[in-house]
Amino acid sequence: MDEFQEILQDFLVESFELVEKLDEDLVELETNPEDLELLNGIFRVAHTVKGASSFLNFDVLTHLTHHMEDVLNKARHGDLLITPDIMDVVLESIDLMKALLTIIRDTSADAGIDVSACVVKLDKISGGDGEVNTPQATAPVEEIVESAPVIEEVAEDEPDYDNMSPDDLEAEIEKLLQERQEEDKAKRAAKVAAGEEVLAAPEVQEEPAAEPEPTPEPVAPPVAVTPTPPPVAPKAEAPSGDAKAAAPAKRTPAAVEQTIRVDVKRLDHLMNLIGELVLAKNRLIKINDDVEERYEGEEFLEELNQVVSIVSLVTTDLQIAVMKTRMLPIGKVFNKFPRMIRDLTRELNKKIELEISGEDTELDKSIVEEIGDPLVHIIRNSCDHGIETPDIRIAAGKPETGIIALKAYNEGNQIVIQIDDDGKGLDTTMLKNKALEKGLISEKEADSMSDKEAFALIMKPGFSTAAAVTNVSGRGVGMDVVKTNIEKVNGIIDIESEMGQGSSMKLKIPLTLAIIQALLVGVQEEHYAIPLASVLETVRISKDEIYTVEGRSVMRLREDVLSLVHIGDIFEVERILDASEHAYVVVLGLGTQKLGLIVDTLVGQEEIVIKSLGDYLKGIEGIAGATIRGDGGVTLIVDVVALMDMAKNVKATAMVDSSSGAAQITHEKTKASDYTVMIVDDSKTDRMIMRKALEPMGITLIEAADGQEALNILKSGEHSFDGMLVDIEMPRMDGYTLATEIKKYNKYKALPLIAVTSRTGKSDRMRGVESGMVEYITKPYSADYLASVVQRNVKFKSEFL
Amino acid sequence: MSDKLKQIINKQGEQQADTGLDQSDDIVQLVGFVIGEEEYAVPILAIQEIIKPFSWTRVPQVPPYILGVFNLRGSVIPLIDLRVKFGLPAKNHNDETRFFVLKQGDEVAGFVIDRLTMAIRIKKENIGPAPDTISGDDTMIDGVGKQEDRIITILKVDKLLERDF
Repeated sequence: MDEFQEILQDFLVESFELVEKLDEDLVELETNPEDLELLNGIFRVAHTVKGASSFLNFDVLTHLTHHMEDVLNKARHGDLLITPDIMDVVLESIDLMKALLTIIRDTSADAGIDVSACVVKLDKISGGDGEVNTPQATAPVEEIVESAPVIEEVAEDEPDYDNMSPDDLEAEIEKLLQERQEEDKAKRAAKVAAGEEVLAAPEVQEEPAAEPEPTPEPVAPPVAVTPTPPPVAPKAEAPSGDAKAAAPAKRTPAAVEQTIRVDVKRLDHLMNLIGELVLAKNRLIKINDDVEERYEGEEFLEELNQVVSIVSLVTTDLQIAVMKTRMLPIGKVFNKFPRMIRDLTRELNKKIELEISGEDTELDKSIVEEIGDPLVHIIRNSCDHGIETPDIRIAAGKPETGIIALKAYNEGNQIVIQIDDDGKGLDTTMLKNKALEKGLISEKEADSMSDKEAFALIMKPGFSTAAAVTNVSGRGVGMDVVKTNIEKVNGIIDIESEMGQGSSMKLKIPLTLAIIQALLVGVQEEHYAIPLASVLETVRISKDEIYTVEGRSVMRLREDVLSLVHIGDIFEVERILDASEHAYVVVLGLGTQKLGLIVDTLVGQEEIVIKSLGDYLKGIEGIAGATIRGDGGVTLIVDVVALMDMAKNVKATAMVDSSSGAAQITHEKTKASDYTVMIVDDSKTDRMIMRKALEPMGITLIEAADGQEALNILKSGEHSFDGMLVDIEMPRMDGYTLATEIKKYNKYKALPLIAVTSRTGKSDRMRGVESGMVEYITKPYSADYLASVVQRNVKFKSEFL
Repeated sequence: MSDKLKQIINKQGEQQADTGLDQSDDIVQLVGFVIGEEEYAVPILAIQEIIKPFSWTRVPQVPPYILGVFNLRGSVIPLIDLRVKFGLPAKNHNDETRFFVLKQGDEVAGFVIDRLTMAIRIKKENIGPAPDTISGDDTMIDGVGKQEDRIITILKVDKLLERDF
C-alpha cells in the first residue's frame, strides 16, 4: 500500500508539472498549428499520463487520455489540422484531465467526473474529420501499427530488446534519450538561427518541419517498451524527463537541470533556523560593540572583530542561499495566462495578444502562491475593461489587436510585476462618479482627489464600473481581492493610466516574508520597527513646521502637503519624557497613499526576523508582529497598512505641549518622615556620613549605590522624592549622566538635585549646572551645612524642626 | 542479623507501599502561588517554567492586565498580570515576584504572580467543585482544594490561556 502511495505521489507531481506546461503549448499550437515539435510534446504528455494512469488503475483518466491521444496522434501525423474548434475540445479535455488529477490527489480515486461527453466529442474529431473514414477503434490500432515498424526499424541496427537484461535495456533507453536530446538541441539551434522567417514564409518552414519528422522514432522505443514489466521507472521517467528537458531548453539550450525534490516543510524549518541565527548574529554584533567600548585598545579585540564580521558575513550569505532554495520562477504563475487570454478573447469577441517577459524572475514560494489569484483578476480586468472591441479600436486609430504585456523584474529588494494594456485607460471622472453613486466617497473627497487616488478607487470593495455583471467581471469583488492579497505579502500596488492610451499596474512585492530590513524608531522609551520597504524618506523638522488643518496635523514636504500622525497617539504611548524642540518624520508610502509618522528618535536600520505574537495577541491593530533585538528585548513591528487606516481616526494631539500633564500632585506634608530624599553615592562610608547628618531631621532616606540604581528606584515610583543628593564619580552611571537622564522626565523637572562631590574645579561646577543640579556641595562638609542645604531645597517646614 | 535485615526489608516495603499510594491516580500535583491575599494553584504539568521577572515590551491596544510580550529564549510570549486580571491594583515587582510560564498545546503565556508557595500533592476527594455562584463554563476556577487548614483555589489552565478580549 505504501509503495502504491509513493508511486501515486510521484505520478501526481509529475502529471501536474506536465499539465502546467501543456496549456501554454496548446495555445501556442493554435497560432502555429504545424509545429510538429509542439504537437509531439503535447502528445507525449497525454501519452505519459495515460500510461501511468492505466498502470495505477485510474480507468476514467485512462479512458479520457486515451481518446485525447487519438486526436493528437492524428494531428501529429498531419491527418488532422488543429482548428480553433478542435482546440476548444482539446482544451476542454485537458481541463477535465486536470480536474481528474485534482480529485485523485484529494481522494486517491478518479471517480466523480463524467468524461463521456468530452470523449464523444474527441471521437468525433478523431473519427469523423478528414477523408480517413476509419472508425474510432482503429485509431489505437493505427498507433500500434505506427510504433511497430519503428521498433523494427530501430531493431535493424540495434540489438534485440527482448533479449536484453533490464539494466542493459535502461542503458539503451538512456542512450537513445541522449541522442534524441542532442538532436533536439541541434534542431533548436537551427530553428533559432532561422528565426522569424520560419514563421513568415511557409516554404521555408518545410525545411525545419521536414527535419523533425524522424523525431517520433527515438520517442517510440520507450513507448514500445511499456509492456515489459521490469523497467517501470524508466517508462514513466523517460518521456517526462524528455518533456522537462525540452521546456527550459527552449530558453537556454544547453541546460539539463539537476534537481532534487525536497519537502517544503524542511525548507521552512531551515528558514526558521536561519532566523534564529540572524537574531544571534545581531546580538553578537551588539555585544561586540559593548566590548569594544569597554576594552578599547586591547589586542584580543581585533580577533573578536574578525570573528564577528566573518560570522555576520556568512550568516547573511547563508540566509540568502536558503532563501534562494525557496524561490520559484514566476513563470509558474504566468503559464496559465495564455490559455486564459485565449478563452477570454473568444468569450468577449476581442482580439488580444499576451506578451510575457521575465518569467524567469524568482520569488519566494509562499508569495508565488499568493499572487496567482490577484493576477488573474487584474488580467481579466484588463481584457474586459481595458482592451476595446476591434471596431472601436480601429475607429480610435489603434491596431485591431490589443496587447496586454505581463512583465516581471527585480527592483532592489523587491520584485515588480507589471501589467500593461493599450486599451482605453481609466477615466477619473467616471471613476469618481461611480464611487459617488455607490456612496463609497463623499462629494468633497471626490473634488480633492488626485488622479492617483481616483485610480485607487478601483481597489475599493464593492466598486465596479462594468455596466452589467458578466461571467468575466462586474461583481465588484475582484480588485478588492487583489489589494488584500498583495497587502498580505507586504506588497504595494501602483496604478498609472492615460485616457485612450492604456493603463499600467505595478505590483511591488518583497522578495521574502520572514526576514526584512526595518527602520527602528524610538518614541519616549519604546522602540518600534517599520518595514523599510514602506519608508520613502525621513525628515527632521522643528515643531513650528507643523500646521493644523481641520483638526489634523500636516506639514509641507517640498511641493506637497503631508498629513502627519504621532506614533505615540497611535500606540497609546504615555508621554513621560519631555518633548524636544525637534522631531523626526518618517514618510511612509503605500501605493498612492503617503503619511508622515512623527517619532522622537531614529535608531537605525536593522535586519529583523519577523515573529508572530501568537494566538493570544494576534490581530492587534497596527502591529504586524514582533522581533527580538540584539539586546534580547522584544520590539514590535508596525503594520503600515493598518497604521494608515488608524491614522485617519487620530486627533491632532501630536505635538500639543505635554507640560500640562506634568502637574504634580503635591501631597500635603504632615510630618517630617513625609519628606523623602535619595542618597546616591558609591561609597558606603559617604552614604553613612550623609545619613548621619540628615537623620536628626526625621526625614525618610533611601540609598542607591550608583546612577543606574538610582534611576531605577526613581522610575519604579515606589517613593515620591523631594530631593536627591548625588555623588559625581560613580561606576555604571555618573552623577552628570544621572542628572541629565532624570531631567528628561517631565515629572522630575522640579526635583532638586544636589551634587555632593570632592571635585572642586570650575568646569565641574559648570557641568553640574548644565546637567540640572541646583546646588553643589564639596566634600568635606559639616553635617549642619548639609542639613541646611537639604532643608532649603526640599522646602522643609520649620514646625517639624 | 537476619532480624535486622528483615526489619529493614519490611520498612522498605512499607515505604514503597506509601509512595505507591501517593502516586496513584487519586493524587493531583499542583503548584501553589499567591496573588493578593489568596492562594491559587495550577496543575504542575501545565507549567513550562517559573522564572524571575525581567524586562518586557508593552503592547498597545490591549486590556490593562496584559503587560506586553517578553522574549523567552527566542519565542515572543505574552505576559499577563494576574493581579490586574483578578481586579486587584497593580503592584511593583519585588524579590518574590515570579513569571509563571504556562503551556497547553501550542498556547504559551507568562503570568505574573506575587509569590510562590509550594508544590502541593492533594487527594482528588479533597477537591470540591467551584462555589455555585461562580461555577459554569465561564469561570476560571476548576475547583477548590482543601488541605489541613488551607483552602486553595485551583485554576483552569485553558481558561487562563484563552484570549478574552
